[in-house]
Amino acid sequence: MKRFSKLTIPYIAWAALMLLLPMLLIAVYSFTDQGNSIIPFTFTLDNYVKFFTDPDFLLILWRSILIALKTTVLCLLLGYPIAYFIARCEEKTQNLLILCITFPMWINMLVRTYAWIGLLSEGGLVQRVLSLLGLADGELLYTEGAVLLGMVYNFLPFMILQIQTSLSKMDYALLDASADLGASPRQTFRLVTLPLSLPGVVNGITLVFLPAVSSFFIPKMLGGGQYFLIGNMIENQFITVGEWNFGSAIAIIMAVIMMCLMMLVRRIEARNEGGKGERP
Amino acid sequence: MEQKKLIELRNIVKSFDGQLVLKGVSLDICENEFVTLLGPSGCGKTTLLRILGGFLDADEGSVTFDGKVINEVPPYQRELNTVFQKYALFPHLNVYENIAFGLKLKKMSHDVIDQKVMKMLKLIGLEGFESKNTTLLSGGQQQRVAIARALVNEPKVLLLDEPLAALDLKLRKEMQYELKRIQEEVGITFIFVTHDQEEALTMSDKIVVMNEGEILQVDAPQDIYNKPNCRFVANFIGESNIFPGVMLEDYHLRFDDHDFDCGCFGFKKNEPVDVLIRPEQIEIVKKEDGKLTGEVLSSLFKGVHHEIMVETVPGTRVTVQMQLIRNQDVASEDGNEMISANNFYVDIEDVEHMDDREIIALSNAQAWNPHTDEFISIAHVEYDLRAEEGIYPVVFSTGNGTRVERRIHVVNQPVVRNERANEAVMAFNFVRSVDEIMESQALDTDLRTWAGAQGWKLSDEETSVELYVDYDFEPDEVKEGVYPVTFETTGHEFKVYTTTHHEEGQEVGLFFPPEAIHVMPHTEY
Amino acid sequence: MRQKKRPVGKFMMAASICFFYLPILYIVIFSFNESKSLTNFTGFSLRWYLHMLESHGMMSALYTTFSVAILATLISTVVGTLAAIGISSSRKIIRDLMEQVNNLPIMNPEIVTAIGLMLLFITFQVERGYTTMLLAHIAFCIPYVMLSVTPKIRTLDPNLADAAMDLGASPFQALTKVVVPQIMPGIISGALIAFTMSIDDFIISYFVTGQGVKNISILVYTMSKRVNPSINALSTLIILIITLVMVLVNVLPLIAKKRERRDELTPRRMVVPAAATLCAVVAIVALLSSRQTDTGLPYAGQTLHIYNWGEYTGENILSDFEEETGATVVMENFDSNEQMYIKVANGESYDILVPSDYMIQRLIEEGFLQKLDDSLLDCWDKLDENCLDLSYDPGNEYSVPYFWGTVGIVYDTTVVDYEDLEAEGFNIFLDEKYKGDIYLYDSERDSFMMALKALGYSMNTEDEDEIQEAYEWLVQCVQTMEPEIVTDEIIDNMAQGRKALGLVYSGDAAYIMAENEDMGFYLPESGTNLWTDAMVIPANAQNVELAHVFINYVCDYDGAYDNSSYVGYTSPNAEVMADLSGEGGDYEGINAYLPRTDNENDEVFVYNENTKKTLANLWSKVKIEASNAN
Repeated sequence: MKRFSKLTIPYIAWAALMLLLPMLLIAVYSFTDQGNSIIPFTFTLDNYVKFFTDPDFLLILWRSILIALKTTVLCLLLGYPIAYFIARCEEKTQNLLILCITFPMWINMLVRTYAWIGLLSEGGLVQRVLSLLGLADGELLYTEGAVLLGMVYNFLPFMILQIQTSLSKMDYALLDASADLGASPRQTFRLVTLPLSLPGVVNGITLVFLPAVSSFFIPKMLGGGQYFLIGNMIENQFITVGEWNFGSAIAIIMAVIMMCLMMLVRRIEARNEGGKGERP
Repeated sequence: MEQKKLIELRNIVKSFDGQLVLKGVSLDICENEFVTLLGPSGCGKTTLLRILGGFLDADEGSVTFDGKVINEVPPYQRELNTVFQKYALFPHLNVYENIAFGLKLKKMSHDVIDQKVMKMLKLIGLEGFESKNTTLLSGGQQQRVAIARALVNEPKVLLLDEPLAALDLKLRKEMQYELKRIQEEVGITFIFVTHDQEEALTMSDKIVVMNEGEILQVDAPQDIYNKPNCRFVANFIGESNIFPGVMLEDYHLRFDDHDFDCGCFGFKKNEPVDVLIRPEQIEIVKKEDGKLTGEVLSSLFKGVHHEIMVETVPGTRVTVQMQLIRNQDVASEDGNEMISANNFYVDIEDVEHMDDREIIALSNAQAWNPHTDEFISIAHVEYDLRAEEGIYPVVFSTGNGTRVERRIHVVNQPVVRNERANEAVMAFNFVRSVDEIMESQALDTDLRTWAGAQGWKLSDEETSVELYVDYDFEPDEVKEGVYPVTFETTGHEFKVYTTTHHEEGQEVGLFFPPEAIHVMPHTEY
Repeated sequence: MRQKKRPVGKFMMAASICFFYLPILYIVIFSFNESKSLTNFTGFSLRWYLHMLESHGMMSALYTTFSVAILATLISTVVGTLAAIGISSSRKIIRDLMEQVNNLPIMNPEIVTAIGLMLLFITFQVERGYTTMLLAHIAFCIPYVMLSVTPKIRTLDPNLADAAMDLGASPFQALTKVVVPQIMPGIISGALIAFTMSIDDFIISYFVTGQGVKNISILVYTMSKRVNPSINALSTLIILIITLVMVLVNVLPLIAKKRERRDELTPRRMVVPAAATLCAVVAIVALLSSRQTDTGLPYAGQTLHIYNWGEYTGENILSDFEEETGATVVMENFDSNEQMYIKVANGESYDILVPSDYMIQRLIEEGFLQKLDDSLLDCWDKLDENCLDLSYDPGNEYSVPYFWGTVGIVYDTTVVDYEDLEAEGFNIFLDEKYKGDIYLYDSERDSFMMALKALGYSMNTEDEDEIQEAYEWLVQCVQTMEPEIVTDEIIDNMAQGRKALGLVYSGDAAYIMAENEDMGFYLPESGTNLWTDAMVIPANAQNVELAHVFINYVCDYDGAYDNSSYVGYTSPNAEVMADLSGEGGDYEGINAYLPRTDNENDEVFVYNENTKKTLANLWSKVKIEASNAN
């Protein structure tokens, strides 16, 4: 196979240009204060200082993380039982159910989110049903709840698919072994199934949390203009305000925070895996 | 020794997707027994074990454990533990946690758990491994952990599902002793599933031979080996010589055209039976002292003994002439095409089945471009064949008109029949070029094809008999000329284990005492 | 395994399926709705489908989406597979490095990748449009293809390719005949992922597109502010296409399998029909979206690029113009002057822009516009003089008005006391009586105008203290009044009476009042913004002559009437204005339609770079405050 290694060279060039350079450009922009041009380059930390010295910006960041956390937790709580249910079905049924869940994902995300505007707005189906049940008074659209719903709606399938994959990869003999050693189904779930599905859970969390933090069209469509998250802030800086340097700085800050959070999650997962823990 | 019955399986039936996997199995298992379920894969042994463990529900029948029917009891409430095929160690727990898993569920206090786990680690010889990651252990070590994990719960019965299958040979032998030792030490019932007959013979108190969802025989290892109750068991366990025979009367039977005394009785008069003689129970003696005589076909040294094949009934053979000629490739006028073909022989009876493709194949007609070595297809074959003996011309030509003429010999080839061995063989003379012999990748197969050699059973012409090829030339240095080629079948052969060497081709006698002959009801295959 | 009845699991499964499919069902049903309502189904009709088929923008978005997806899938699958094979046979250090680089678009928030690519294209001065979108899609699809192909390569016998070459295959043959068939399942799933990613992408496309090139996501995003059931029709069409593809992919192989009784499914069998369907779809859409050009007309074959506000043209004006001139009109929409400015300032070329007054002033100052050629214009005497010769462009050297009007308060006459309005003016937006019942408009210009006017200052003030005061006024508003900050959705929402008060452009107010007679329009005595949106020709316009023709066309009675009656904004054409507001006109008795021209407190916006920046930053902080107040 060695002789195929020269196939790599054009791709390395491409990747450097289309994947690596853009990231470097963001970084360069975030450290300049020359309007929307990077030549001549003058180094400054102003953009970062501006972000970190303003409690309002920090609050936006915190709220973005918070709603992403809420989304992730909700997706986990809803997704796990569904994934578990699917993974325990026969293979044919499994494939069918997975198809059912992936099918909507093929339809444009914005189109599906747009549909929720009609469903949630006053007089819309969901709003009417909920107020009949006495669960909602007044407006649903343009609230945090609507944003949360939109996020869960869009990202739940990722969670289900990840967990289902890791559950169906699990060796069923382990469940038998657990039952054999005297664990009731509940205990088996707690002591064997759950820990072994953790990699899937972690992947699911990544796939939900990441887009949820940076999402800007869901808050804009379902939360209204007064619902502002970090993603909207970046969009705003680039599309409306035109301050690319500050926008780049926010993007870098967000990317770094996400990377740290993801590393943290992976570390927690690694600790749980492999039975490397010391004797109790 | 009468033991207390611990497990009673009654008429267990189980099917998957309409396929019957267990066809009404009944079995008793006693306390402190080492019972082996033995059979080829797919025989239902693992299914039976899983029903015992509670992982599967039987469609019909009852499982009684210690006097109580436990069909409805879930696995986690059964007093049995299982060692799984690939161990099923929890990958997220270390060795200690794996072993302590069952004890923790029973809410035992920490020091008790500690004590028991340590005892187990000692039993399996893995002290000091407690905080090791199970996925990093060797196969044998994982195996021991799996056993310890099951045994620590002090079950009355330990189920082992092919636990040694994943180990290499040396380790497997080691673990066989180890398992036996552990079983003797803890003194509980082991139910062991395997497809390895040697493993079963080595370890078991009792072997249950299964095939196709049924129990064929339940006996102690010696009895299973010496007195198998059918051809399947005899074949499955140990090496065996099995022949069809006829029970003339009690203690007398006939096979290979000879009458013999034997220790068997209880069959009907002239009942067809299968006769088993184990290789180690046959002695090679002088020709005149033997109960049967034959020719030594081969002798293999196997360390402790020689494995000698003796043919008592000879095979059937036919010898044909192979005529080797110089290459007779014909070139086209412009030199861009080459064509070649051979004369060949056909049986009168086969003439009517001849078509272009068959003739091209039999004559090995080929055309090619000598510059590029690319093949060119043979476009036309012209011939006029009749079902009469004689020589007929045939012309092969390519699309560009390059042609070559050859002859087809239609002959009435006699069939060699061997009534005693119930066989017939037949083959034709043939013509080939020297190059074809030299270039042949698999000469035996090619010779069979070129000679159209076939062998079949007289009683059933559809059943073909394998033919061996014999010739007396060096394929690498062969020259033009005529060579004899022989095609033959093997005769009745006996496998014999002796301590002495015997030359191939030597005429010898075979001796075996009447007790060595074991008679089983005849089974058709 | 013991099968048990699992009622909870079944319930959750069923509920989740309902959850996932409810919006899809809703889209399909409401695409057949007779009325414009998104909440009440009033009857069956196909009008939104007709509307969609007639809409140039929708069909070309459909075409863009699918053609980009197919091309990006094809290219990224081939390149990704080859690169994955290459990288797997490279040294470990290269493997690890490339894995990290490939992870960039996967592990980074999409918006980061998006702005990175946008900055890349801008830095290298690549004009953004279809090509950049395609390049971006290929860039983020390849890593996904590699992610799915690489594990398959790892399981491959490393001697396989060598064996093939030993038997006489060239390296290329070894690759195509041995290696590729072995990893086919990985390649196919990679291609499927790439296709899904591309067809679903919004964020990256949104940032790297230009020249009016939109995919469906961008279209929905920019159109979703106004009620537009055509989106439902378009979505239903997409759902139909995707369903067809999925059925083909999933069902056809089953049928083929049954027919041939073969166990092994060649992957080709499921991909070929799917790919064929998709290509057919693209071809059909391409046909629908391309228009026949009549060569006999004066401007046949020419293209006019217009950059205009969304929902700012009459129903027929563009198609009529095309019919009359033979030219093709490509219209791109913007949400705000600032958004438009950024594009123009970055060198994108249009023939006509429709910015607002202060922005025109800025564009003139910064040299982005060219003077109009009066010899080509015949419109001046048709226009109302109140909207001519204003401070932003004295003498109308650069601009011809498109719409004009004021900014005022739309109020629900059944909820709001007229006396409160008279007494408080814009300060009614601080009146806690109406807490939770107000809309603000998401524009720093209009919001600060409101605040400054409420405080009695000039809206063109440069006094920092006054601006700071206005900022505090707005912060107080968002912190105490729970306003919703909206853009164009205010129009439909006010028309349906969802809130009692809203800051609205007079033209939108006219539309709202025409729809809902309970609504009133009030202009505070403290003054307001007298604004004009006007047509200008950028300095880098490519078709100046056609641009002049278009300006004439818009100012002409028919064009102006179509525009004004459909959009609801006041036409600068005096005759049209009189007809529409006069007896029997669409806006008879609607005070919002006729701009107030007699209040000396009313002002025209003056562009000032410093205040502009201050206001933009302050306004984004107001929004952050609003968001944080929740």
